[in-house]
Amino acid sequence: MTDLKLIGGEDTAFLPDARPSLAQRLLFSNEFGLLLLIGLAIAIFSVSLPSFTSTFSLFTMGRQIGIDTMIGLAMMTVIVTGGLDLSVGAIGVCSAMFFGWMLQSAGLPVALAIPLAIAFGAGLGFINGVTIVRTGVHSFIITLASMSIFFGVMIFLSKAEAFNSLPPAVLGFGKLRIGTLVSSLLALSLATSVALSILYRFTSGGRRMLAAGANPRAAEISGVRTGRVFIACHMLAGGLAALAGLMVTARTGAAVPAMAGHLGQDWLLPAFLAPVLGGTLLSGGRVAVFGTLLGAALVNIITSGLLQMRVGEFWIQAFLGMLLLAAVLADRARHTLLRRKGMI
Amino acid sequence: MRKTLSALTFASAALALASTHAVAGSDTKVALVPGGPHPYFAAWEQAGADAVKDFGIGAGDYRVPQKWELSQQTQLLESLLSQGYNSFLIFPGDAVGTNTAVQEITENGGQALALAGCLKDPTPALFCMGTDTGNSAYLGTKELIKAMGGKGRIAHFTGFLVDPNTQLRIDAVKKAADETNGAVQVVQVIADIDAPQPAEEKINAYLAAHANDVDGIITTAWVPAVTAANSLRKIGDKRIKMVGIDHDEVVLKAIKDGFVNGTMLQNPYGQGYIGSYVLDKLRSGCKIKDNAPWKSNALTAKFVDSGTVFVDASQVDTYVDAMRGISKTLMASMDKDFLSCN
Amino acid sequence: MGGHSLTRIFDNDWIGPALVSAVAIAVISFFQPSFLTPFNIFVLLSAISVNMLVALGQLVIIAVGQMNLALGSIGGLVAICFAAMMELWGFPPVLALAGGFLIGILAGMAGGFVIARTGITAFIITLAGLQIFKGINLGITKAQPFYGVPQSVKDFGNTSMFGPIPWLVLPMIIVSVAVWYLFARLRIGRHILAIGGNRSAAELSGIDVNSTVIWAHGLSGLLAAAAGMMLVARLQLGHPTIGDDWLISSFAAPVIGGAVLSGGHVSVPGTFFGVVIIAIITQALVLFAIDPFVVQIVLGGLILWAVGINRLREARVAKALGHST
Repeated sequence: MTDLKLIGGEDTAFLPDARPSLAQRLLFSNEFGLLLLIGLAIAIFSVSLPSFTSTFSLFTMGRQIGIDTMIGLAMMTVIVTGGLDLSVGAIGVCSAMFFGWMLQSAGLPVALAIPLAIAFGAGLGFINGVTIVRTGVHSFIITLASMSIFFGVMIFLSKAEAFNSLPPAVLGFGKLRIGTLVSSLLALSLATSVALSILYRFTSGGRRMLAAGANPRAAEISGVRTGRVFIACHMLAGGLAALAGLMVTARTGAAVPAMAGHLGQDWLLPAFLAPVLGGTLLSGGRVAVFGTLLGAALVNIITSGLLQMRVGEFWIQAFLGMLLLAAVLADRARHTLLRRKGMI
Repeated sequence: MRKTLSALTFASAALALASTHAVAGSDTKVALVPGGPHPYFAAWEQAGADAVKDFGIGAGDYRVPQKWELSQQTQLLESLLSQGYNSFLIFPGDAVGTNTAVQEITENGGQALALAGCLKDPTPALFCMGTDTGNSAYLGTKELIKAMGGKGRIAHFTGFLVDPNTQLRIDAVKKAADETNGAVQVVQVIADIDAPQPAEEKINAYLAAHANDVDGIITTAWVPAVTAANSLRKIGDKRIKMVGIDHDEVVLKAIKDGFVNGTMLQNPYGQGYIGSYVLDKLRSGCKIKDNAPWKSNALTAKFVDSGTVFVDASQVDTYVDAMRGISKTLMASMDKDFLSCN
Repeated sequence: MGGHSLTRIFDNDWIGPALVSAVAIAVISFFQPSFLTPFNIFVLLSAISVNMLVALGQLVIIAVGQMNLALGSIGGLVAICFAAMMELWGFPPVLALAGGFLIGILAGMAGGFVIARTGITAFIITLAGLQIFKGINLGITKAQPFYGVPQSVKDFGNTSMFGPIPWLVLPMIIVSVAVWYLFARLRIGRHILAIGGNRSAAELSGIDVNSTVIWAHGLSGLLAAAAGMMLVARLQLGHPTIGDDWLISSFAAPVIGGAVLSGGHVSVPGTFFGVVIIAIITQALVLFAIDPFVVQIVLGGLILWAVGINRLREARVAKALGHST
């Protein structure tokens, strides 16, 4: 967990003394590396696969990137604290099912149901946060238990029945295109990323989250009430997970209990992969909001490229793993090269 | 399994001889897409390949999502659509959730059948062909009750609760038991055991504590059937009757050896073969008749039963023939009752 | 930090989980006497044996301050290779066993090598490993199980040594003692803990961090291989889904047993009782015929209860170490 040497981990170590210029910092950043890899992947796939750049293909890819980004951001807001939230998937599904219930059974208008569902997710996150802070037990165990409880209550109440006669506006939003290519879901994730960047960079609340995550004791001494801050982080995660659940609902046009698999576990992989690829430190205290977006993009581009290349159907996963490995290794090589050339 | 496959291939050759519909060079590109990797669907690969050979379809490819995840299947379907496939045979990753992907397929000029499992109405899928899961569980339980002599206590082992079929199966088993007016009771349902390790732990734990309080076991998912058959063999108990599901080697062997009374077979090969045939016909100008004799089930009003057969020790060696018979009848009925071609 | 008092707390890591296990066993057998029948003890021990090896496989990596997401996929790959070697190539079990161990060690070390040499976080590398190993598994099996497991192997997984004690307990005891000895007495074990506790300090004190990390991952792969092959023996087939659901329990057992997720501190006996608690909870849900739709809720509640009993001490350890949650 305190595996501090992440991809590009050195640049943080370098910064205080070396004070490189903005351009150098940019060249060395995780985001830049990811952009390079994404550009490379797109170049290769679009040359070798004519179908890759079709409008439909790009649109569906963007939509999936939007959803995975939101899931990744939800986890990122908790990783900031140095903890994790295994229950993001469960919260997402529970909120989506609550959303479905409000629309279909309680007959609430969409405009009211959306904020209520997000608040509901934040409420579940609040339960996680309070339990973790009050008991002092590691978030891994608490969210492992709450994942089981949240999902169990949802299955018990819904009997695994989906809500599938939602107002057409819900599915309409999921199919909405901005221009011809950009999915509304991708746009929503972009907007959320911008909002989160502002939160972490320009608001005292966001800075307190980072400070408390980096060194809780020091933060406590300097007057940050870390307990409250951690609870807020978990609420934020819950709210974002709920939003991700609503996005999946919009894409599907129905609130489906299986949308994130058994116990919501299907979300765990994208939840961790995107932020960590993006450069978020698992030990806390550092975020990479746009890195998360780029991380989700890279994974999805490679996945759809491979799917379209028609490699032997059972081998895709192995190739995906190797490409993922190749991608991070290439990024590492870029760092080494830059350092050798004396660029930093 | 491999033996079964070759037997099925043989069956297909016989089927192909029986049909005279070989059209050369159709532009129908069929993709057979299960919900995830699972032995049940293995016969689809052969079925698709045979359909290409026998009917001259452009492609009949078996493409498997890497995991049992709704989003992975959706992504694969979208990708296949981009690659130019126009006819889809889909086992829905979710009865409701997969509808959107099918919607996308039809909006982009493709067509789709729900295969082996149904999509919930309203659905853009043409129809659903598969095992009537509720009915299969009901018939299996009836057979079990018969084997138990009409009275006793039943344990029911089944799959994931997020799969709505699981609820149908639980209800169907209960219905069959209730019809005995209390002579037969369902004393326990163990669910969420679709992986062998948790299945083994839970089923053994159950038998360890309750082997004496239970007279019959019904399993309505592949993995629990295999595991329960192995467990009964392990404790050497032939008093407890059991009816399994599907054609896993372990289950078939346990039937021969008398540890399991029988199994409810499904017809995956026929599903893939006939499904490909129908989609090709529909693309070459045939229409589905308005008065087609649909059945209906809990999910859809346009359901075609691909057949289910109870097989006991006396038929376990020849069950392929039984399945072939069913497939042949179904194929003929497709031409006669469901399709109108000019 | 008061090193002495800390050691004292750590030495007692297993007491909390042991207490929870004892209470759980007492309560369950009071309400459900069949819980302590020989056959049930046999079933329980078979489950514990495999899960203990899985937990130890993760424990080694937790100790070094990393996580191994590929644990289950290595175990699964070895399991199907083990079965395939016997079914397709007709290898005798002993040879297949050796082959399986070799694959496990190599797979683990390959991951460890990349982690050590590139400095990329273990999370990403083992995640890529998970995809690769699981992908190879699916590529080989096409999701079909291997059935050709020799009778001797099946017997090992399903018969008892004496009384209600299954043969599977034997490898568990040997491995548990070995791993305990490794951490308590051997230099490599101390190095692993030192790196997990404070990597730069370990580096400064002259420990060869890279090769230690590689060996730790090799050991983890070996343990995963052993668990995978034991499961083939117990399930009597090489099923491609073996290992898919190891991840969460592999972390839960060591953490219930007092391991600190950020590394440097683990407890083998504590992990054992963590495994026992999870096994008992799983069984209890079946024995008491809990409505399947409520099982997940009860399971979550029981995890909280088990941890709750151990809560005060764990919080004390965390505070003493200066780690926040």
